[in-house]
Amino acid sequence: MDIANQLQRQFMDYSTSLHREGFVDDQFTQLQKLQDENSPDFVVEVASLFFEDCEKLINNMARALEQQQGVDFKQVDASVHQLKGSSSSIGAMRVKNVCIAFRSFCEAQNREGCLRCLQQVTHEYSLLKNKLQTLFRLEKQILAAGGSIPIVE
Amino acid sequence: MAPSENLAPAGRANTGNGGGAPNGVEKQQRCQFNEVVLRNRLTALLVDGNRFCRTIEQGLLRAYGVETLAVDNGRAAVELIASGVKFNLIVIDMLLPILNGLEATRQIRAMGVRCKMLGVTACSYEREREAFLAAGVDVFIEKPLSPEILVPILRELDGQ
Repeated sequence: MDIANQLQRQFMDYSTSLHREGFVDDQFTQLQKLQDENSPDFVVEVASLFFEDCEKLINNMARALEQQQGVDFKQVDASVHQLKGSSSSIGAMRVKNVCIAFRSFCEAQNREGCLRCLQQVTHEYSLLKNKLQTLFRLEKQILAAGGSIPIVE
Repeated sequence: MAPSENLAPAGRANTGNGGGAPNGVEKQQRCQFNEVVLRNRLTALLVDGNRFCRTIEQGLLRAYGVETLAVDNGRAAVELIASGVKFNLIVIDMLLPILNGLEATRQIRAMGVRCKMLGVTACSYEREREAFLAAGVDVFIEKPLSPEILVPILRELDGQ
């Protein structure tokens, strides 16, 4: 089996595991299908936009939750809401699921619950970022070896 | 224009109008969106305050050959419609800066605009759904806007 084939096999296995472990859902697959020779870096570019967006929103949440004078839960919720929207748009299922729980704690004005969710969302975002960076590295290696990137349904 | 605004793949209208004969790779890629071949040139207005979501949703609409304009707040959407620009489809989020999606929708409907409006939002509570429908959207869609949801709507607009 040549190198490109081996790398493609690795890529498919890795992609499958990302789906199986709930890191990404079908929405991510749909975005991969939007990538073509006119926009060969579409997924990498939207992923880095997503990571920027995540970091900004997580920082906003952390700042709002740190306020000693009283937490503005509406402000926290606004950021969580945005993150829910963008994570679902990229197919980041685990991040989205934490956001759903997070919103309930915002609604209940439960600071401890919110802080736990903030920790979880930060953790899930880091995990996802590492996983996607690995996936994109594999893609580069496949292309460098002269292969094409398979779409994993 | 911010670099990210150019990230949406160039519209690949599967209308059979213009463009050279596709090579093998392009043909394979197009087949994945071949489920919708639009006979008519559809236009859409996308209203979302989040740059990332705009990029994704615009990419999706353009992949089906829908000519899409995006704005990032409710007031800009209302002003655009008030100026007489017509769209086949309006995709609007609920939480928007300057003028929120509920009020923007009401104002657009109050102008007599009857085009299809999709409320695409991260909101998921029943009360939010009811409010958005009451404001005038035809369909309430919890994000993400996926091909599964979009395709039947585009077919309907295309008269298929």
